[in-house]
Amino acid sequence: MDAVDRDILNIIQSDFPISPEPYAEVGRKVGVSGDEALERVKKLLAGGVIRKVGPFFDAAKMGHKSTLCAVQTPDAKIGEIADIIATYPEITHNYLREGDPNLWFTVIAPSEERIAVILSEISQKGEVGPIHNLPAKKMFKVKVDLRIKGD
Amino acid sequence: MGFNEIDIALIKELQKDVYLTADPFQRIADTLGLSLDHVLEGVRDLKERGVIRRFGAALTPANAGFKTNAMIVWDIEGRDGLKIGEIMASHPRVSHCYIRPSFEGFPHTLYTMTHANSEVELQGIIRELCTKSGLKIFRILRTIRELKKTSPVYF
Repeated sequence: MDAVDRDILNIIQSDFPISPEPYAEVGRKVGVSGDEALERVKKLLAGGVIRKVGPFFDAAKMGHKSTLCAVQTPDAKIGEIADIIATYPEITHNYLREGDPNLWFTVIAPSEERIAVILSEISQKGEVGPIHNLPAKKMFKVKVDLRIKGD
Repeated sequence: MGFNEIDIALIKELQKDVYLTADPFQRIADTLGLSLDHVLEGVRDLKERGVIRRFGAALTPANAGFKTNAMIVWDIEGRDGLKIGEIMASHPRVSHCYIRPSFEGFPHTLYTMTHANSEVELQGIIRELCTKSGLKIFRILRTIRELKKTSPVYF
């Protein structure tokens, strides 16, 4: 990753141009052609630095319910539980963390009933529990903007 | 929030993989049989209404040099959670900040997520959060492994 890549990432994380030729615009800002800006983004995606380019919707404004869940999972079962979780498109994030509980995942679904069904299925199929369902009482911030500095 | 048929058609197309092209919004316009201006206006409108909270690239923190990622959970120690939440959220290195219910054995209700380059940097951010908030009781739940990360699909 060089300085131009860093500049591009710092721009397109929050300000992907909503314009006819977004990469031409990004290229002008960082001093390369639109084609080069696009090629660099493709490489960053192929290299795993970028996960996705596109819109991030507000689940609540889309009429969905979201929650964070936590469950203590013995080391030997983490792979199995992760595989069960992976089958649900409603579960978008799943992290192994330090501490107890150690498995933390987010569920976004059209209703609280659907979330309850998913949690009960995971608990039964995986023979784990209790799964703590921790919907936000108050949301202060969701703004992932990873400023990348030079070496 | 109400969505008309065109909103829904647009939201569906916007979720497709079209952004690694020189003219992604023109492609969406062609698919939907709408003008480019109509699509651009539609996207700007969804952003203004907050339906799209962010438009752009999502990075995988570990691959972008952020090796030490942690959810820090705080005990608000009887303080005003709303005030403390705002204080924590105002720190530029806090990406997510929520109040959630407590549960047995887990009195922490204020959740902050932070992405750091190193353990030293993480500790620095935590010191700043302690100073700003006055809170002292917290746990650092570092990310050991990302097991799944995808985007939800709407409509």
